Amino acid sequence: MQTTLRFDSLLVHGGLEPGPAGATSVPIVQSSSFAYETAEALEDVFRGRAVGQVYTRLGNPTTEALERRLALLEGGGAAIATASGMAAITTTVMTIIRAGDEILASSSLFGGTFSLFRDTLSNFGVTVRFIDPLDLEGFRSAINEQTRLLFVETVGNPKLDVPDIPLLAEIAHQAGLPLIVDATVTTPCLATGASLGADIVVHSTSKYINGAGTSIGGVIIDRGVFDWNSQKFPHFEQFYKKYRAFAFTARARKLVHKDVGACAAPFNSFLLTEGIQTLALRMERHCSNALALARILKRHPKVAWVNYPGLEDSPQHTIAGKLYGGRYGGLLTFGTGEKASAFKVINGLRLAKNLANIGDAKTLVIHPASTICADYNAEEKALMGVTEDLIRVSLGIEDCRDIIEDFEKALDSV
Amino acid sequence: MKITINGKETALAENPARTVESLLDELDVAQRQYISVELNGEILERDAFGNTPVQSGDILEFLYFMGGGR
Repeated sequence: MQTTLRFDSLLVHGGLEPGPAGATSVPIVQSSSFAYETAEALEDVFRGRAVGQVYTRLGNPTTEALERRLALLEGGGAAIATASGMAAITTTVMTIIRAGDEILASSSLFGGTFSLFRDTLSNFGVTVRFIDPLDLEGFRSAINEQTRLLFVETVGNPKLDVPDIPLLAEIAHQAGLPLIVDATVTTPCLATGASLGADIVVHSTSKYINGAGTSIGGVIIDRGVFDWNSQKFPHFEQFYKKYRAFAFTARARKLVHKDVGACAAPFNSFLLTEGIQTLALRMERHCSNALALARILKRHPKVAWVNYPGLEDSPQHTIAGKLYGGRYGGLLTFGTGEKASAFKVINGLRLAKNLANIGDAKTLVIHPASTICADYNAEEKALMGVTEDLIRVSLGIEDCRDIIEDFEKALDSV
Repeated sequence: MKITINGKETALAENPARTVESLLDELDVAQRQYISVELNGEILERDAFGNTPVQSGDILEFLYFMGGGR
């Protein structure tokens, strides 16, 4: 029944099973481990003969409810909820690559992912090549014998560049490689992994999926469409033999996710199953508020530039409109010409909060060059589209008039 | 005929057309996509489920991903 529901209904009902005493919200099973009456019963679960819970690092009923819903929302497959978005990316990449392998990644990645790829993975013999995600030929020509995966974001953060994901998927698949897409900024509301042609989708669920900034989480959704039966992936052989389409999820669950231990906390999974119910309504407002503010900023005398894919003159407008159904997301960036005036604007805001997050019901701002991107050199900042005057705004769902007034007053102080 | 599934002896009606695939249907095994099958101690390729006959005395293991059943 559930798979036939439409998207907005799946947000509310997807994967929901009858709760104790008729409960309609997902029960919080705050237990580290699960007892069995007999040694034989627990042995059966450990061997995989029976479905059951063992230990919350490996699986938990609250987290499983979240996983079922997120998998349905991406168009089917299997999901693994993790402790954070970074945990989702780390687990995904470590499941696929081995020492000596190469990753082709977008050069405008979120700073945390950039750091994982540039600094952490390089210590384990993995090479990551960063390529402009709009340069499709660059991706195609960078693929070599060692390449094992392509990794891009639906919308670069904070660069707000919008790669043509279906074409990148084609390039990856022609080379027998999986395309991993971080869709945190667009959420399954604007486009599903299925509609984009991604093989594996990751999200930081801390953002729009949670919606209220109350917890950290991530998810990996394996769409079960990539063919792992390849000489490139000899370490998948046993998993492919047993699980075919879900070889990736089997390898992740039985090895990397289990061993790394970056599991979702049951209470956080509960908050996410609650929060996600209103995702479609919130995304509409995030998008319309962003467009309204972008238009105001665009003609403001103290604003030097505005970057929002929803603006008609944005170079990203056409592709973003095509891939995301005429909706352009809740993030915009703008500049006032220099760092000092950017700081003045941020200090003058009253409603918008100055913090390192996106996707909250509240409007948020940050100056990336001095905070989330402070560790990167000038060349890297340029690749990420981070200038000294850039302010990133994550539009909340407040009344648009209050947001606009807040920014207008703050700009008056410049 | 009698076969052993996950360590339990199971009696089934005689059916010469029965395959591993049809047995999974017959037993209404849940979460089919996440299950692997061992037949008489050997891992059975997923593509072979539909053309592998189930014979009397066979020992089958239907195995889920460990932990949380996925």
